[in-house]
Amino acid sequence: MSIPKPPPDHCTILYFAAATSYTKKQYDHLPTPFHVSRLPDVLEERYPGIKSKVLVSCAITVNLDYVDLEEEADKDNDGLLVTAGDEVAVIPPL
Amino acid sequence: MASSYPTTAQFPGVQALTEPNIHVALTYAPLSSQSTLDLVKSPSAGAIVLFAGTTRATFLDRPITHLAYSAYVPLALRTLHSVARATKTAHSLIAIAITHRLGVVPIGEESVLIAVSSPHRKAAWLAGEECLEKVKERVEIWKEEWFEDGGVWRANRDGVAGVKVVDTQEKTSEEMVGERAVK
Repeated sequence: MSIPKPPPDHCTILYFAAATSYTKKQYDHLPTPFHVSRLPDVLEERYPGIKSKVLVSCAITVNLDYVDLEEEADKDNDGLLVTAGDEVAVIPPL
Repeated sequence: MASSYPTTAQFPGVQALTEPNIHVALTYAPLSSQSTLDLVKSPSAGAIVLFAGTTRATFLDRPITHLAYSAYVPLALRTLHSVARATKTAHSLIAIAITHRLGVVPIGEESVLIAVSSPHRKAAWLAGEECLEKVKERVEIWKEEWFEDGGVWRANRDGVAGVKVVDTQEKTSEEMVGERAVK
């Protein structure tokens, strides 16, 4: 199946492998904007336990580029913003 | 047994990234070793090495009922291309082709084909092995192994513990066997 486009002011987040198993979904549409470093907290609200059980071993991409969440968190308000139409993905271990 | 992840084709035919002498592709269809070989043939080649990765019926002696691959298709293609280009440069290859199959791959069939051509055989042997290891380590493709009692997401590195497909919260006996195997 193909992933539908997000509604206005939303991004798409894609789940793969163990992340799909945990969320029982292939994708969500999340309201934007938010700092990418907040992603784990945003997902934890929807899927309690996901941070420690899944995200801790996963990488994150935004529009096909890998993002270092710790580095982004250190930048505070200068960190990368996820904006409308962006494609974010949770990448479990390969 | 139903998978938690759709294993039906998400696109028809083949999705590929190509440039002269570099060809990478993903497909849900059975792979053809001859077609992959043909992509790297050249009059200046003295050697072609073709690697075929095939699906095994067991994991640590436990029978596997079926096996499926899923991928983040656009990113996997981009990473495959980067691995192919780096391998071609490092070993001065004439050409390189990598095709990975997605979805359910019946036991005994090919899940990945890598073909490399070079003027002399030594470089082709080395490049083929190095390329496969990088594909397993870096490309955004996940293997789901199904046993009679459920499925496991298997990391591509040999012997690394898997994550149970249905419930990631508790360890399966399978996973613990996997962990013992790496110690």
